[in-house]
Amino acid sequence: MLLAHGFGCDQNMWRFIVPAFSDDYRIVLFDYVGSGRSDLGAYDADRYSSLQGYADDVLDILHALDLRDTVFVGHSVSSMVGVMAAQREPDRFERLILIGPSPRYINDPPYVGGFERSDIEGLLETMEKNYIGWANFLGPVVMQNPDRPELTAELTESFCSTDPVIARRFAEATFLADNRSDLAGLKVPALVLQCSDDLIAPRSVGDFVHQSLANSTFQQMKATGHCPHLSHPDETIQLMREYLQAPVAV
Amino acid sequence: MEGLIERIPCGFLSFTDDGQIKQVNARLLERLGYRREEVEGRPFESLMNVGSRIFYQTHLFPLIAMQGRADEIFLVLKAANGEDVGFLLNAARHERDGVAINDCALMRVEERRKFEDALVRARNTAEAAQQELQQANLRYEEQAVELELQQEELESQRKIADEANQAKSKFLAVMSHELRTPLNAIGGYAQLIEMGVHGPLTDDQRTALDRISRSQKHLLRLINDVLNLSRIEAGRLDYRITNVPLREVVKTVLPMVEPQLAAKGIASRTVLDEAAVVRADREKLEQITLNLLTNAAKFTPAGGSVTVRVSTNPADRKVSLDVEDTGIGISPEMQRDIFEPFIQVNADSRTEGSGLGLAISRELARGMDADLTVKSVPGQGSVFTVQLQPA
Repeated sequence: MLLAHGFGCDQNMWRFIVPAFSDDYRIVLFDYVGSGRSDLGAYDADRYSSLQGYADDVLDILHALDLRDTVFVGHSVSSMVGVMAAQREPDRFERLILIGPSPRYINDPPYVGGFERSDIEGLLETMEKNYIGWANFLGPVVMQNPDRPELTAELTESFCSTDPVIARRFAEATFLADNRSDLAGLKVPALVLQCSDDLIAPRSVGDFVHQSLANSTFQQMKATGHCPHLSHPDETIQLMREYLQAPVAV
Repeated sequence: MEGLIERIPCGFLSFTDDGQIKQVNARLLERLGYRREEVEGRPFESLMNVGSRIFYQTHLFPLIAMQGRADEIFLVLKAANGEDVGFLLNAARHERDGVAINDCALMRVEERRKFEDALVRARNTAEAAQQELQQANLRYEEQAVELELQQEELESQRKIADEANQAKSKFLAVMSHELRTPLNAIGGYAQLIEMGVHGPLTDDQRTALDRISRSQKHLLRLINDVLNLSRIEAGRLDYRITNVPLREVVKTVLPMVEPQLAAKGIASRTVLDEAAVVRADREKLEQITLNLLTNAAKFTPAGGSVTVRVSTNPADRKVSLDVEDTGIGISPEMQRDIFEPFIQVNADSRTEGSGLGLAISRELARGMDADLTVKSVPGQGSVFTVQLQPA
């Protein structure tokens, strides 16, 4: 079971979920480059300018560990990262579990993504105010003082993101992208976990994903918000278990 | 203590993991303009502007859930009147009655927010300016490299041209010398025959000898000119610069061409600034003047006139020596080329010469910080001007 964290977080976000599956599955956790305790030296601005770069990272992990029949669990943006990776090499995936997926966040009538471009700019501005902004004042300190790891550690503890520039690019790659066409034709079975009152991925988007995927199961959760694995781990675990135990048409 | 939370000078709010607001203090309600029942039970994120909502879902809530706390988070809350109000939030997570509760202290940061905005804007401006500067620098560096390459190319071409010119001058000097020796022998022996040293001559023989002699002299003059020019161009000429009164130059040279002018019926006139004295090599200045007068005589038809004029420009005190004729004139295109070696205005049989006179004259003039220029109207005549440095 490979679990991929969402934008703004790191692998720690799976801590309430992992114990429930660690007896039955080999658990693989990772941080995207620029998140958590990843190696910033591995960052490649071109590679990560779109989600495909992140999908390539997932495939790299599958290859490095020679994983097959993988259950891929992706939160938020990682749902689409998983879909893109599974499109490339479907044989390596057994099932996908998509928590709060959205292939496009910005409205494109009649498609409703939930946001206008100005909303995303509002997010970037809030990020700026919270860490991109002042981290940029400190930025050179963080980036240019490898001998002072406590600076990086401090930022990591505060925001899971070690580098403000990378976080900004990740936000743009996530929220400004249109990955709707990546959904079509996917053979790998997938579970869509749809939260209640999810501002980031509203119900209409969950429906769109479910309808676009050839072999998907839709679950409406009681959990509210966008991070049910953090706010409502019990319900999340239960729905994942049910899905993993039920046979799916392949 | 319950009352204390209502009165402390900052906002207080607590919410559960499903986002519902459980408690809010009077200070925060007052600041945002809501009544308690409007806020309690409502999702916390519904109080935020959109940017802050996304940030709450992607950053803040995961942070509190994972680490049990969050510090110094900037959020924008919506007041009842629609106004955006900036807050700094500290959150801590507790278990109360078996339920996880997230307590938040919220401080207004309006003034600091403006200050931060200004800082961020200033930084963005500075970054943009720096980028522009870097790009401009890059462009300049590229241009500098290009220029340097061009200059190197020019330099090497100039070197090649200089070497070729020097080789030419050397060749001409050597050849001229080698040609003069046999020519002098021809002249000498022709003279001996003419003197009857080898016996009496018939009239026809004398006529033939005269032609041989004239041709020999013409050829010798031509070779001398070539030799002179190549010496000048090779920079092997010495100039003896002294103060030279121009009237003396005119008085020396004009009589040398007067027989020629008289023979063709050409009038000569002089208009002299008697006081004009210049810095020049007298001998070379006389040679230039003689060349110009000889040319004037050569190209002016019978009945025309040649005028020698010496004047001083009151502005820069430069002295001009003009030789003006009423000859055939020179076309504008020819005026450009006429100072190049071997160019003649009208290279027909009547006007013998090497085509080197003007080239030599201008080189000589330039060798003494003077210059030689021409103005001409075809069919009306030409004015050659030597512009000289005043004494």
